[in-house]
Amino acid sequence: MSRPKEMTRAVIVGHKSILKETIDALHDTNLFHIEDFVEDESGFKISKPFKNGEEVSKKLVKIRSIANYLGIESKKPVVQKSDAVLRELDSKLNELDRTISAKTESISQLENELKDMDSQKREILPYLSIDLDFEYYRGYESLKVFAGTLKSNLEASQISSITQAYELYFDPQSKAVVLFVAKNDADKVYELLQGLGFKELRVPERGGVPSELLRSIEQREAEVTRRIESFKGEIESLKTRYADFILASDEVLSIESQKAELPLRIATSENAFIIDGWTPTESYDKLVSVVNSATKGKAYVTSLEVHEEEEESAPVEYNNSKVVAPLQQVMDLYSRPKYTEIDPSSAIFITFPLIYGMILGDIGYALILGTIALAIKKAMKSDAVNDLMNILIYCQISAIIFGVLYGEFLGFSLASLHTVHGVTPGLIPGWETITLFESIGGEEFTFPIHRSHMVMTMIGLSVFVGLLHLNLGYLFGFSNILRHHGMKHAILEKGSWMIIELGAILAAAGYLGGSALMYVGAIVLVLGIVMLAMGEGIAGVVELPSLMGNALSYARIIAVGLSSIYIAGTVNDIAFGMIWSDHSQIGFAAVAAILVFILGHGLNTVLSIIAPGLHALRLQYVEFFGKFYQGGGRKFNPFGYIRKYTEE
Amino acid sequence: MVDGATTGLFLDAAGMKALGAAIAIAITGYASAIAEKDIGTAAIGAMAENEGLFGKGLILTVIPETIVIFGLVVALLINSA
Repeated sequence: MSRPKEMTRAVIVGHKSILKETIDALHDTNLFHIEDFVEDESGFKISKPFKNGEEVSKKLVKIRSIANYLGIESKKPVVQKSDAVLRELDSKLNELDRTISAKTESISQLENELKDMDSQKREILPYLSIDLDFEYYRGYESLKVFAGTLKSNLEASQISSITQAYELYFDPQSKAVVLFVAKNDADKVYELLQGLGFKELRVPERGGVPSELLRSIEQREAEVTRRIESFKGEIESLKTRYADFILASDEVLSIESQKAELPLRIATSENAFIIDGWTPTESYDKLVSVVNSATKGKAYVTSLEVHEEEEESAPVEYNNSKVVAPLQQVMDLYSRPKYTEIDPSSAIFITFPLIYGMILGDIGYALILGTIALAIKKAMKSDAVNDLMNILIYCQISAIIFGVLYGEFLGFSLASLHTVHGVTPGLIPGWETITLFESIGGEEFTFPIHRSHMVMTMIGLSVFVGLLHLNLGYLFGFSNILRHHGMKHAILEKGSWMIIELGAILAAAGYLGGSALMYVGAIVLVLGIVMLAMGEGIAGVVELPSLMGNALSYARIIAVGLSSIYIAGTVNDIAFGMIWSDHSQIGFAAVAAILVFILGHGLNTVLSIIAPGLHALRLQYVEFFGKFYQGGGRKFNPFGYIRKYTEE
Repeated sequence: MVDGATTGLFLDAAGMKALGAAIAIAITGYASAIAEKDIGTAAIGAMAENEGLFGKGLILTVIPETIVIFGLVVALLINSA
C-alpha cells in the first residue's frame, strides 16, 4: 500500500546578488514546492518583483488579448527554442499588434460605411417609383414641394379642384407622393394632404435619379463587403502564420513572469534571501547540486528536521504506478490524502472496478461501453479525459469477467436454465447451467450465476464482499493510527471493530448451530465493545449500529444490478414480442421492434455508466473511506513550468 | 359462496406479499427522495460557491439512498420468504 511521496523540507539561503540565478535554477528543475512567506516580527520582508516584471506582464497581457482576438487554441506543439522566441518577441509582437490594429481599424471604418449606405438606401427607397432627379426637388421661389407618403389614395382631381398649377407624382402601390404646387395654394393643398394622412419624408441631399443612385449604392456596398471579407481573410491567415509564435511566446512570457514575481513570495532582508519549501526526498540531492552549480556554491541549501505538526501540512504528491495513476482522479474528486496517511488509490484500483463489475456484470454492455471508452480515449488527447476513460476501461474489464460468471449478454441469459417451471433456453446452445451446491433460502448456487433466481444468495454474497471491504478500511485505519499514536490506540480504535465483527459472527454461528459457541461469541462481542468505548469513548459505542448499516448498504450491489437486468429484460420482451407476434412478414412491427431494441438498450447503456458508477463510488467514499480516511492534503505544486511549445 | 365477500375484499397470501413488498419499496423510495432533495439542493448551492466540493456534495447527497436499499432488501426478503 502506497503512501504519498516522502518530502524533505529544504531552505535555500543566499546573498541577493545570486537570487536571479537561484530562481532560474529552481524553475528549471521544477522540483521545489515553495512555501509563501508571511511577514512576521522576524524582520524579514517580502521583496519586490524583478525589474522586467512589469514589462513582461504587459507583453503577456498583449499577447493573450491578441490570442483571444484571433481565437487561437492550443494544438499539437511545434517546439521552438525559447531564446530564439525571446529574441524575436519584441519585433514580432509589435508587428503583429500593428497589423492587427490596422486591419481591425479598416474593418470598422468599412463597417461604418456600410451602415451609412444602408441609411442612404432607406432614404431613397420610397422615391424609387418616382423617376425624378432629386435636384428638381429644391431651389424654387414660387413653388412648394410636398414629398412624402400618404395613407390613402390621392386622385389628381382632388388637387385640381384646388388649383390647376400643380405637378403630381404618385405611386399607388407605395403611396409615395411628390407634389409641386404654387406657393399661394400650398396651405390648402397641405390641408387636403393632411386629411389623407400625409407624412413628410426627408429629400436626400445628393442629386440623381433614385433608381440609378440605388444601383450605385448597391455596387459600392458589394465592394465594401468584399473588402471586409478580404481583411477578415487576412486576419485568419495571420492566425495560421502566427499561431506557433503566439503559443510559444505566451509560454516563454508566462515563465518569465513566474520568475519575476517570485520575490513577492519569499523572505528577504537588506542583502539576503531565504527560500523555504518542500521537495521530494528522492530529488533533494539533485536540487542541492543544481542550486550549487547555478550559483557556484554561493547559496546555502539545507534540509530541516520536520516536526509531526509540520508533517500534517506537507504538500502531497502521489506515489503510484502508471496503471493505478488514473484512480488518483477519483481520490482528488473526494479530497487528496494528507501527507501523514495511506493513499488508498491502489486499493480503489481493485475495489472500484470490482464493485462496478459485480453490479453491471453484462458482457454486452461492457463491450459497448469499453469500445466507446477506447474510441474517446483515441479521439481526445486531454489527460483528464484519458484518465477517466482508463478508469471506465478497468471497470468494463471487470464487468466482462462478471458477465461471464453471470452468463449475461444485453439482459439475455447465455446458458439454459432448468427450473421447476421448465427449461429456459440460453443464447448459447449447449451451455447448460450447472448446480454447484445448495445455498441459503432454499436456493441453488449455480454456474453461471442467475442473479434473478438466487437473490438471497446474492444479498448474502454482496454483504460478505462489503464486510471484506470494510475490514480493509479498518486495516488501513489501524496502520494510520499505529504510525502516529502507537499500537495501543490502533487496537482500541480500529482493532476493536474487527473484534466486534468476529464476536457477532461467532455468536450468530453458535445461535444457528445451537452450540456453546454463542456464549463465546457474546463474550468476544462485549470485549470488543468495551475496547471500543476505551478507544473512542461513548461516541464509538453510539456508532455501533452504523456497522450493520454499512454492511447492509452493500446489498445495493445486487439491487442495482437486478434493476439493470429487469430493464434489459423488459426491452427484450417488448422487442421480441413485437417481432414474434407476426412473423409471417416483415412489416411495421418488426421495424418498431428494432427501434425499441436499440433505444431501450441505448438508454440502459447510459444508465450502466451512471448507476453502477455512482453506487460503486459511493461505497468507496462513504462506507470504505469512512473507516480510515481523512483527506485534505495540499497538492504538491512545484515552482516551475511544464514546457509544451518551447525548449531551452 | 360464503367467502365470496372475503375473497373480494382481501387478497390471497401471494397478493399480500406482493403488496407488502410494493409498500416497502414505495415508501422507502419516497423517503429517500425527500431526504436527497434537501441535501442535493444544499450541495448544489455549496458547489456554486466552490466547485471543489463536488466529491463531498455527492457523498452527502447519496447517503439517504441507503433507506431505499433497505426497503429493497426487505421487499426481496418478503418475496422469497
